[in-house]
Amino acid sequence: MSRAEKLTDQIMERLKSLNVRVKREEVLKRMKLLIDEFKVPESEAVRTIMNYLAREYGISREELFVREAPLVKIADITKPNQWISLKAKVVQLWDSTSPNVSQVGLIGDETGIIKFVIWAKAGMPEVEEGKSYLFRNVVTDSFQGRLQVNVTRTSNITEINEDIQLPPREIEVVGALVAFQQNSGLIKRCEHCNRVLTKGVCPIHGKVKGYDDLRIKGVLDDGENIYEIILNEENIKDLTGIGLKDAIKIAQENLDKSAVLNELKSKLLGRYLRVKGIKGSRYLLVREVEFFKPKVEDLEKLLEVLT
Amino acid sequence: MIRKREVAKRIFAYELVRSTHQIEDSGLKYVLTPTGERANRIFSVAVLLDKEEIGADTNLWRLRLADPTGSFYAYVGKYQPDAIEIVADIDVPELIAVVGKIRVFEGISRKLVSVRPENIAVVDIPVRDFWVIETAKKTLERIKAMEKDRGEDAKLAKQIYNPDLNEYKEIVRKALETVKEDFKIVKEIEKVEVEEEEKFEFAGFEFEEEDFDLSDLFEEE
Repeated sequence: MSRAEKLTDQIMERLKSLNVRVKREEVLKRMKLLIDEFKVPESEAVRTIMNYLAREYGISREELFVREAPLVKIADITKPNQWISLKAKVVQLWDSTSPNVSQVGLIGDETGIIKFVIWAKAGMPEVEEGKSYLFRNVVTDSFQGRLQVNVTRTSNITEINEDIQLPPREIEVVGALVAFQQNSGLIKRCEHCNRVLTKGVCPIHGKVKGYDDLRIKGVLDDGENIYEIILNEENIKDLTGIGLKDAIKIAQENLDKSAVLNELKSKLLGRYLRVKGIKGSRYLLVREVEFFKPKVEDLEKLLEVLT
Repeated sequence: MIRKREVAKRIFAYELVRSTHQIEDSGLKYVLTPTGERANRIFSVAVLLDKEEIGADTNLWRLRLADPTGSFYAYVGKYQPDAIEIVADIDVPELIAVVGKIRVFEGISRKLVSVRPENIAVVDIPVRDFWVIETAKKTLERIKAMEKDRGEDAKLAKQIYNPDLNEYKEIVRKALETVKEDFKIVKEIEKVEVEEEEKFEFAGFEFEEEDFDLSDLFEEE
């Protein structure tokens, strides 16, 4: 098959996917003229023909010119507005609250995990948790400071018969707890959806009675990286001896919820913790936690280097 | 786009107070230290030696802090509500962990680096010990990078400060030695505590009701 024929077939393929009927001979004739006769560079020849087809058949140029985005790994995603393709497994699907969103959740490959959004307008078939797909022509985006990938109209999702390995999701970190984030301490959650209430109001269910819970959202810092961690009631009790019941008691005795937070801060801030847990797209969900105790051997090793 | 939180770097006081060079990178200010650390925020475990309100009722406090290598200043004001609450309650001297932003200020005669604590917590000796070990490790890594001319910040720091790396190694060594000593002490204390606990449990086991003579308590009535 000549070069011109090959390029023609590529164009035909594209036209087929757009449901446009064009005679192959018509395209081939032009292609041969440009490539074989006039020795125009291939890319220019394709562009010229595409332009011609767009005019002649009223195809939107945008659709016609979608180029195949390069296949990358999730760890390589570093900035927004990049068109890429990914081979990834759907790790988790979340409930979407917006009518504009068809599906939202996490996808992962062997290098990492990232949030993805399939917009309702994209008109894509639904993906399933645990299955692997080739996501073609998706675009990276930044939402609330975190990178994600968006599946849009011009994207394409095909299931692949390949089980993509995810990175070891459980990690262990030793670092200093350098900050507490908002909504730490004694909190109230919605009895319907477990979301954290602000002033007794659930973002979904409005004013609800709610139930008490104890948790800490904090920042663990090892001098190289920061990890945003979530400690649940059990973790907190392991570390401080303060469980939910104790926390409620402290709050009642002081007539103030923040007394609990202050107590937890005084026991945990600035301390070194060793945590084991599962890293999501943002938070490290802690499974095991303990105060980290230094070993004299670490010190002796350093001294050896110096003498 | 929300910026990623800046990592808190580990730097000994000796090196910290010798830092005079500031770098601006994408709108953020960093202090470049003599061994080539680029820090916007630090984490330190030090002894709060002194606290002093600058002027009456200004609610701006100057703190003097010391780690095994030297001392530095930190300023806490009303914009650090969490830290100021803790500072007000502390009786000096006390061992504390500090997380804060660092900046270089142009004084009249020289440049001065200081810390603005975001969080302060009273901690115990083992936290300090590990901080010293960790900071020693990080400092030695930086020294190594500088010796091998590795990394932009190391090269820049060398150009600006041209530090005597042996001097810094000596500081690190001394810091480790001090800590090594109270490692032994802490171990001793733990041993004693464990023994006492064991003894106590044993004694508790033998208590019998008749052993308590409560008559003293009722006499006053």
